[in-house]
Amino acid sequence: MSRNAIQWHQKPGFPDTHYVDTAIYTDESLFREEQAKIFGKCWIIACHESELPSAFDYRTFQHPAGVPLIIVRGEDMKLRAFYNICPHRGNTLLYDPVGNAKRITCIFHAWSFDTKGNCTDISRGKEGYQERFKCEDAGLREVKASIGYGGFVWVNVDDESGPLQEYIGDALGMLEEHMSMPLEVFHYHKAVVDTNYKLWHDTNSEFYHDYMHYFNRITGMLQPGYFDRKYTGYPNGHASVGSMSVRYDKYEGSKNRSVGWPGLAPGGWILIDIFPGMTYNLRTSVLRMDTAIPLGPNKVVIEFRGLGLKSDTPAERAERIRDHNTIWGPFGRNLHEDLLGVHGQGIAMREGTDSKWVIHGREENMTIHDEGGMRHFYAEWSRRMGRRANDPFGASPGASPGASPAPAKKLATA
Amino acid sequence: MIPKQSIDELIYRSCMRLDAKDFSGFLALCDPGFRYRVTAFSPEIRKEMIWLEHDKAGLKLLFDNLPRHNSDHSPITRHVTVYTVERDGDDGNARVVSGLQVYRTTLDGGETTLYAVGKLHDIVKVDGATPLLVDRSVRLDTRMLGIGYHIPF
Ligand code: FES
Ligand SMILES: [Fe+2]
Repeated sequence: MSRNAIQWHQKPGFPDTHYVDTAIYTDESLFREEQAKIFGKCWIIACHESELPSAFDYRTFQHPAGVPLIIVRGEDMKLRAFYNICPHRGNTLLYDPVGNAKRITCIFHAWSFDTKGNCTDISRGKEGYQERFKCEDAGLREVKASIGYGGFVWVNVDDESGPLQEYIGDALGMLEEHMSMPLEVFHYHKAVVDTNYKLWHDTNSEFYHDYMHYFNRITGMLQPGYFDRKYTGYPNGHASVGSMSVRYDKYEGSKNRSVGWPGLAPGGWILIDIFPGMTYNLRTSVLRMDTAIPLGPNKVVIEFRGLGLKSDTPAERAERIRDHNTIWGPFGRNLHEDLLGVHGQGIAMREGTDSKWVIHGREENMTIHDEGGMRHFYAEWSRRMGRRANDPFGASPGASPGASPAPAKKLATA
Repeated sequence: MIPKQSIDELIYRSCMRLDAKDFSGFLALCDPGFRYRVTAFSPEIRKEMIWLEHDKAGLKLLFDNLPRHNSDHSPITRHVTVYTVERDGDDGNARVVSGLQVYRTTLDGGETTLYAVGKLHDIVKVDGATPLLVDRSVRLDTRMLGIGYHIPF
């Protein structure tokens, strides 16, 4: 039976945690608040260490909290992160996404900085500023940077934040043994999609949408063991999906795989979602990393990376590249379908479309088609925002706006 | 000797057939040993990338599987200009470089936008009665392809 306007707006018959109000995907003020309360506080992946192998290499990064950053490798080989903003008249310091700069010299009035963020020269400084303003007053704004978990470069723009290890906790435990050797990025591309960043992270947090992928229906859902995979939730909103006792080597078609990944069963698949928008995805012979960077409530840029082992022979690398591009490249079977999905959500859910609820209600003992991964994310989102995801503006009777649900410790279906 | 015009027309025909989704017609223009790839250089990671790579059988499988996938159905139009045809290689093949622009047209309303620019680097077998594609490298300058596309350029 179809529904009328009243019925369409009626709350779904689930607990509050099992559905969200689509305003969290469309509202401009909530997006600004997310930038401050979530992206301004969390550890975010800026790039990979293999992208800056040599001293004085740099890489730029548009941080989702809003600030433009540069990551620079010092002469001491340490990676540091700074605002890509000149302290003089606010110019962009480094224009290219990547390069090598012994000293960072602003093109505008030639103020210079070293890779530790010290100002080393103010052109005709004495003449203009006399003793009133010196290099010591003109250092770059440094933000926290930390390398880890597969050699990724993480940044945190909050000076008060705890260490990266504390933020990740045990969430990447399933992958740690698979990332103990140096990795290297071999694929990079970006996609700008008119949709909310959380919708992309949601897609990476649920496997129920394997119905969208012909390839996954055939190689996954119809195979023994598919429904053995389980979600595990961790503090800070992270979640993993991995096999319990699947004999992946029994899979047809995975027998002739030659390269694979050290320690990963042929045909194995480990996926770990890191709050608020990063996903490790290890499958066949490739580690894929997605980084979702919101540009507005209805616009996101997603950075896609494919990684192999630094020690790869040319033949091994070629096989990883083939495995990657047939599934996950811009022309790959699955990536286009996933992006088509969130693109469609972005069309249907935007201000004025009268979309109302998104349902995360499936309960299947946290196995592969359970929607607990998304519920776990929104419990953390609600905690950080001080808003309930199913009632962000406290409109429903009995709701107390600004009340924070207790931090989610262990993933619960509640 | 196969005239240059026939080589030009092979390149143009290959694009017209792909535009028309006449995939078997496209494959009929290809030698059994045909190889196809899409490549791009990423300044961000300072690396050459391969975004798609298939032999003739792999391409056929890709084409055959297209109806099974969920895809963006906006048609694309390839605009190609043959720039150079060189036939001085040891293998007797012709090497053809063409400019490529790909446009995407929406189904709803028919708005056309530029989707990608790049070049086609083709190797053409010219020792038979008709020229055949032996190798095609689609070299993309454009790397931002939005939600992507299932049909190779
Ligand atoms: S704005 Fe950078 S030196 Fe003036
Ligand atoms: Fe998917």
